[in-house]
Amino acid sequence: MRVEKCYFCSKSVYPGHGSAFVRNDAKVFRFCSSKCNKNFKMKRNPRKVRWTKAFRKAAGKEMTVDSTIEFEKRRNVPVRYNRELVETTVKAMKRIAEIKQKREHAFWKNRMAVAREKLKAHRKRKLEKTSVKLVQPITPQAEKVKEKIKVAVKTRSALVAGEGRSMGMEID
Amino acid sequence: MIGLKGTLNVIDNSGALLVECVNVLKQKVNNGWGSVGDEIVCVVRRARPISGQASASAPKVRQGDVRRAVIVRTRKAVRRPDGRFIRFDDNAAVLLNNKREMLGTRIGGVVSADLRMKGWGKIVSLAPKVV
Repeated sequence: MRVEKCYFCSKSVYPGHGSAFVRNDAKVFRFCSSKCNKNFKMKRNPRKVRWTKAFRKAAGKEMTVDSTIEFEKRRNVPVRYNRELVETTVKAMKRIAEIKQKREHAFWKNRMAVAREKLKAHRKRKLEKTSVKLVQPITPQAEKVKEKIKVAVKTRSALVAGEGRSMGMEID
Repeated sequence: MIGLKGTLNVIDNSGALLVECVNVLKQKVNNGWGSVGDEIVCVVRRARPISGQASASAPKVRQGDVRRAVIVRTRKAVRRPDGRFIRFDDNAAVLLNNKREMLGTRIGGVVSADLRMKGWGKIVSLAPKVV
């Protein structure tokens, strides 16, 4: 069982997925999906189709030379099964994937650095030109926390208790 | 999917170049579609011109012969047990005699690995490339 790479988009093709085409010169083309298959039948060159890895690598948008890529080379020599070897290989694969990701991120950052510098310079220039000046926003005053305090208030009701008959009001 | 009137290239050195399928020999049905590893009855439509001298690889078949053949490549995708589909660039066959033995002595080109599963190990062993 092998996880192959799609000929067109370079995605990993797991068992049970995709199709394969064998040309009469015995060259095998593996595809991850009918999308790639149909593009191939249309005789499109993957190096010119923008969304493929082949294009990105050819256009310098992705890391091509790196020691981590050497680990993914195809090996045709079978190795005798050894449980420890499998364990260490799996661990190594994870670690290598981490390192690869970090390096790819660094590569991307490097690539974007030029654009970022341009953007910053552009923003600075624009700021100097306009009449509207950006000022620090006024910080709102810290709201005074209102506390509820109980105040003893003498309630002076104008109502006076009547002599058992009715409630009368005695107003001075 | 080779059926009546389907043409196949012949990839052995029996002398035939193009054969046309006349009947698909399957266990229970007489008609139907032939796939990789199926035996068919075919008519030789085009054959290599017979030369005067008798050479070692003299063509054994002539145009118009009715022979048997086994399909080794199909343009229609065939499913492998691991779930993958394989298709070839053309339809090809290897000529046989009535006893399921090959007529030619060599095979030129790729053959499908499904042949081995259907019991044509001899052809697989002769083929230069098996996919």
